[in-house]
Amino acid sequence: MTLLALMLAVSMALVGCGKSEKTSSGATEKSSSQDTLVYGRGGDSVSLDPATVTDGESLKVTKNIFDTLLDYNDEDTTVKPALATEWTISKDGLTYTFKLRKGVKFHDGTDFNAEAVVFNFERWANGNADKFPYYGSMFGGYKNDESHVIKEVKAVDDYTVQFVLKRPQAPFLKNIAMPPFAIASPAAIKKYGDKFGENPVGTGPFIFKEWKRNERIVLEKNKDYWEKGYPKLNQLIFVSIPDNSARLNALLKGEIDLMEDLNPTDLKQVEGNKDFQIFKRPSMNVGYVGLTATRGPLKNKLVRQALNYAVDKKAIIDAFYAGQAEPAKNPMPPSIPGYNDAIQDYPFDLNKAKELLAKAGYPNGFEMELWAMPVPRPYMPDGKKIAEALQANFAKIGVKAKIVTYEWATYLDKLAKGEADAFLLGWTGDNGDADNFLYALLDKDSIGSNNYTYYSNDELHRILVEAQTVSDENKRNELYKKAQEIIKEDAPWIPLVHSTPLLAGKANIKGFKPHPTGSDKFTKVEFK
Amino acid sequence: MAELARNQTPMHTVQEKTESASLWKEGWRRFRKNKIALIGLGIVVFFILLAIFAPLLAPYDFKDQNLAERLQPPSSKHLFGTDDFGRDIFSRVIYGARISLWVGFFSVLGSVIAGSLLGIIAGYYGRWIDGIISRLFDIMLAFPSILLAIGIVAVLGPSLQNALIAIAVINIPNFGRLIRSRVLSIKQEEYIMAAKAIGMSDTRILFHHILPNSMAPIIVQGTLAIATAIIEAAALGFLGLGAQPPNPEWGKMLADSKDFLTQAPWTMIFPGLAIMLTVLGFNLMGDGLRDALDPRMKS
Repeated sequence: MTLLALMLAVSMALVGCGKSEKTSSGATEKSSSQDTLVYGRGGDSVSLDPATVTDGESLKVTKNIFDTLLDYNDEDTTVKPALATEWTISKDGLTYTFKLRKGVKFHDGTDFNAEAVVFNFERWANGNADKFPYYGSMFGGYKNDESHVIKEVKAVDDYTVQFVLKRPQAPFLKNIAMPPFAIASPAAIKKYGDKFGENPVGTGPFIFKEWKRNERIVLEKNKDYWEKGYPKLNQLIFVSIPDNSARLNALLKGEIDLMEDLNPTDLKQVEGNKDFQIFKRPSMNVGYVGLTATRGPLKNKLVRQALNYAVDKKAIIDAFYAGQAEPAKNPMPPSIPGYNDAIQDYPFDLNKAKELLAKAGYPNGFEMELWAMPVPRPYMPDGKKIAEALQANFAKIGVKAKIVTYEWATYLDKLAKGEADAFLLGWTGDNGDADNFLYALLDKDSIGSNNYTYYSNDELHRILVEAQTVSDENKRNELYKKAQEIIKEDAPWIPLVHSTPLLAGKANIKGFKPHPTGSDKFTKVEFK
Repeated sequence: MAELARNQTPMHTVQEKTESASLWKEGWRRFRKNKIALIGLGIVVFFILLAIFAPLLAPYDFKDQNLAERLQPPSSKHLFGTDDFGRDIFSRVIYGARISLWVGFFSVLGSVIAGSLLGIIAGYYGRWIDGIISRLFDIMLAFPSILLAIGIVAVLGPSLQNALIAIAVINIPNFGRLIRSRVLSIKQEEYIMAAKAIGMSDTRILFHHILPNSMAPIIVQGTLAIATAIIEAAALGFLGLGAQPPNPEWGKMLADSKDFLTQAPWTMIFPGLAIMLTVLGFNLMGDGLRDALDPRMKS
């Protein structure tokens, strides 16, 4: 009898539990329609330790978990205070002193201070191109390298940090503001070691909660964020939907609130719908075909030039970008100071292309692989289609291209090792400086990180390094213009397009301003 | 005794030949009466002719892109419209017949050869060999067939040829089992007993008596299997594991145009229809053949 009573009591309790659970989950669901933003994108992140990656899919998430010393203005790449509130530069341009924001805490509760900044920079400087690829390409290498720009980083007091440089670096402040150089919690780095990329801890507006690979990354509001009254959102969720049309369907069905990489051809469909709005990201990118300079016939400059002549850029843009792009002739977009508009692009000229191939010793063409990226990128909505169009272009001069593709992380990994013949890729500028395009993508120092073509030219290297040290804007621009001439002649790329990436979101999203760098901070975003 | 044996062998063969010849003759007579089967045959012949004369029939080259004329609806210039590369879909569908029929015939031929061989050995020798081969078939049949095909292509690398191999492999157990059961029943027939009794070699018995007598069900099953093979090839193509661009494989054409379903439905309708029609043709013909060749259906 007592047993029966006990069972009854237990079952009642269980029922009670179930009930209360239901109501509580119902409540969160109701509030989630107000302050949870689900962001749909084409690919998953590689790692959430920003210093270890160079890909946009990783940085656009870490941008919300971490802060940098300086940040960019909402719509361009002018720097503004973030973790550093003010800074002074010595007359010789070699010493930068930053005053840090007080009272900021990392998500794990430890203090943000000068020691933390020094710790992070020491960590990167002691690494190598494998571990921290972006650091090397922005600061000229690592601690023991001759070309390393930073001589030392020291904590003057708890809230003052001083950077001493070996040589002046014109874009230094812009570099410091880049998302890869975000300040992470030293305690967490020590605790997680190699696993820090899966357990990121920063000072940013959102706290990392959960990551299901290839599916979703969940971030939660940082209630103690230093920018008072922000962030507005309670939760920020990044979901990966590789197919552009499927992502649009998810938006139309209400599964996601905001999506990037809208197919330009779908623009009309969204524009006519009052429940949704279109965001145009200011263009600061380039989509290109890389021609690996260390492989087969592509070693020959004439062959690379011939391939440049064989591509009908205009037709590709009309077909796959619906006019939301302009043809590229240089490796950087026209909006960046130093752009050389005097350069004449290789015209679409099959006879000239064949002539050059014959001169190079391949009158009947040759066979090569053409790698197509598996995920849509802002600079290339559908890599496989563009590859197929290029394949037909190349076929006309006898070059038989076999289209190959790999999963995104593998794709980048193999490219970094120089395993592709020709490949599609692109770049969205991270700081709005010519250095971040030309030096980061085509200098010999960047081989192994972002120079996937393994193109190496000593004269170009000399010019690009000199441009880094010159602080006179006009002289710098002259150097970059010269650099673009050399690059055009050597043709390590077929520059394809500068696109205007399109985003679509619900009509009631407020405060979202797509940043030209492709990494958006969601601090001020909210639902009306 | 030796003399007797010598006499008997040729006699038997002669008799068998007339018997089997009449079976085919009788089968054709009955097949002809079956209107639906004839329609099937007509469709199949139509697509075979299409495949053979593709270069003469197609108005354009299947890989000729014209980006300025992309996604055009059917017109007198482009009968089936154009796809998103401005390629003529009519020409691509015609060339696609080559690929689909090629994969259909040769993958089935492959599975018939491998399946028959394994089936005959299993059925004729029995015992442990049968045990091993039959369990192997069971294991292969335990996989969902398309999954097994995806696995095989993933290992070999995506290409049309590897898709063909994968489809051939996944169909082996179907033929193997069919032949094995035929062999088990034929083995008990008196003429096999007789052949054994006069000391005929196993190989000769297998390939001169048992195999020819199992041909009818193989042909029926083979025809039906071509239909499935075409669908499987299209499925692999749809997943990007079959034919590689710019080859106009029907399944791949479907996959390439799924983004334009609402905008340009003709990019999907025509390759889809082509798949449906060929498969229907082979199925109708296969059913007709079964009715015509199955001895049990003899009136």
